[in-house]
Amino acid sequence: MERFIADLVQSLDNGKIDRREFCRSVALAAAVYAAGDAAQAQVERGFKIIGINHLSYTCPDYAKARDWYASVLNMKSEAARDDGKRANLMFGPEPGKGGSFLVTRNPGSVASGSAGARAGVEAVIDHVCYTIANWDEARVRATLKAKGLDVTGRDGSLHVYDPFDYDVQIASAAEENAFRR
Amino acid sequence: MEGFVAKHVYDYQNGKISRRRLIEILTLAATTAYAGKRAGAAEQPGLDAALVNHVSYTCPDFRRAADWYSMVFNLDQVGATARDVALPFGKKGEKPYGVGADDVPLTHIICRTRPVDAPARNGPPRRQAKAVIDHICFTVADFDRERAKAQLNAAGVRNVRDGGPFSVYVNDPFGYEVQIAGLNVTAICGAEARATCSDNR
Repeated sequence: MERFIADLVQSLDNGKIDRREFCRSVALAAAVYAAGDAAQAQVERGFKIIGINHLSYTCPDYAKARDWYASVLNMKSEAARDDGKRANLMFGPEPGKGGSFLVTRNPGSVASGSAGARAGVEAVIDHVCYTIANWDEARVRATLKAKGLDVTGRDGSLHVYDPFDYDVQIASAAEENAFRR
Repeated sequence: MEGFVAKHVYDYQNGKISRRRLIEILTLAATTAYAGKRAGAAEQPGLDAALVNHVSYTCPDFRRAADWYSMVFNLDQVGATARDVALPFGKKGEKPYGVGADDVPLTHIICRTRPVDAPARNGPPRRQAKAVIDHICFTVADFDRERAKAQLNAAGVRNVRDGGPFSVYVNDPFGYEVQIAGLNVTAICGAEARATCSDNR
């Protein structure tokens, strides 16, 4: 920047540019510099995360998964987005206000821009844990048992398998909280 | 049901089906409808999933993964052990966005390094799933696709690409697909958010 301004001053002194152009050039340089600095600062800060928007779940039979999550975790299937190959299941806050959804998909149903389920990925999400508010141990266990599920885990932090043997954890705030690990 | 009955009565009155056939059809329809209602009434209600509590992300090097997610999403790392660390979506004491209940904690990612069949606590080995979470999408504040792409590229994130008009996809250090979107990508407009999504949501 210093070099750039020095060159501008020299141009002014030599009569190559007038005073007005000099001022405009310095102002523009300052604005570009500030914008670049702000952009860099944003990268360093990272995004401000609000929550999980959705999880994309690929399985042999999306409808079977859809019905299971609707039944066990009261997720609401959005009929308009069920195309016979995938379904969107809403839960939590309202859509657009922090709500999340689970997309159950058949193999080959891939979102625009996504590579879909593929080999060569070295990481896996091996289970997902859902919070149940107003946790009542007896009620939660009775509900899961009534659904015909084998329940493992400890009080306040239970595990079941969905129809495709995916591990689903169901927990209270008291037992599963990042700040109480 | 009324329309169904009317149609078959019409057929009967016009000689298209016999009286016996009419009775059979209506008996079957009535008993099936009744059975369906009874089954619906008897179904045990499920549990209300209030929010994702955490996702368990297992990879060859949890520290590397945690550093990447910390950098991209500005997340703190808490409760580190020799095998894992948690990355909550906010600071201690904060409430999750849009949640009114007091007993719903911030969602967090647990980055882990362990065998994929490792049991939960002292439970049995984890079954081999026939399903996979093939990508995860995070909602971020003030999302702008072009600005996000520029930021991600500047930060050296791999394979930054469009995910429709209102999101981007990237790959994390282990090739896992991560989508980043704004609040206007919802279950109603879909992951491949259409142009209408930003109009009224």
